[in-house]
Amino acid sequence: MKTNDLILQTTTKVVLFIIILFSFHIFFAGHYTPGGGFVGGLLTSGAIILLMLAFDMKTVSQILPINYIYIAATGLLFAGGTAAGALFFNVPLLTHAFGHVDLPILGDTALHTATIFDLGVFLVVVGVTMTIIQTIGEDE
Amino acid sequence: MAFQILLNVFLGFLWMFFTMSYEPVAFFKGYLFGMVILFTFRRFFGSRFYLGRVIAIISLGLLFIKELILSNISVLKLVLKPKLDIKPGIFALPTVLEKDWEITILANLITLTPGTLVVDVSDDNKILYIHTIDMDDAQEAIDSIKNTFEKAILEVSR
Repeated sequence: MKTNDLILQTTTKVVLFIIILFSFHIFFAGHYTPGGGFVGGLLTSGAIILLMLAFDMKTVSQILPINYIYIAATGLLFAGGTAAGALFFNVPLLTHAFGHVDLPILGDTALHTATIFDLGVFLVVVGVTMTIIQTIGEDE
Repeated sequence: MAFQILLNVFLGFLWMFFTMSYEPVAFFKGYLFGMVILFTFRRFFGSRFYLGRVIAIISLGLLFIKELILSNISVLKLVLKPKLDIKPGIFALPTVLEKDWEITILANLITLTPGTLVVDVSDDNKILYIHTIDMDDAQEAIDSIKNTFEKAILEVSR
């Protein structure tokens, strides 16, 4: 029997964005406070899974036409690229650099290459989790 | 569109509460991240992503300024011409626009195009009566200008 998921779907439409924004916050908070790429990635994939629960897989793949394997690959590329980038500056592998940059609106911002590495972790976690869920879910 | 903007502003405020910094920069960051999320999930909403509409409004404004300048130059040319060989006339322009504000903007834009002036709008809001300063060469060229205006307005409202 097909039930009407109106309330779940409407709630999802708002909650989804809150979860993803919170996952962004967790991701950026990782340097000084608990959080980081792994938890952030898990939260994001949790939000997408919520979307899959409220709607069905076909609708979600229409909303987000993403091949999650590519996401994982991009993440690995970011992480590997950050690690390899250190070699160009005559320092050991995975040496990170940081500096303060004056951005137009954001003001004095501390930029650290570890964030790019973390972004790689984030993307790999999202890609792998979503691939697992999709592979299990599609098997009927 | 209004719902998307409201949600984006809400996400901006939420970011301020997450990061515990109540400065404009925090709101700006949250708004930016919210925009990224909204863009990723843009197919989720009934209407299209609102930033596209904002860009359409800006391009309509630029079009308005451009036509304003062009129309003034062409009128200046006409005034300075020694021979008065113009052929004025009135023609009807059927429009596909439906909402009141769309027709108002179209009428104002037509009035500001070189050599044309909206005289009247039919009762069922389907036809605009336009006075043109030069009937021969105007008809075709002006119809094409109308198409660009109408398209630009539809781009904003659809």
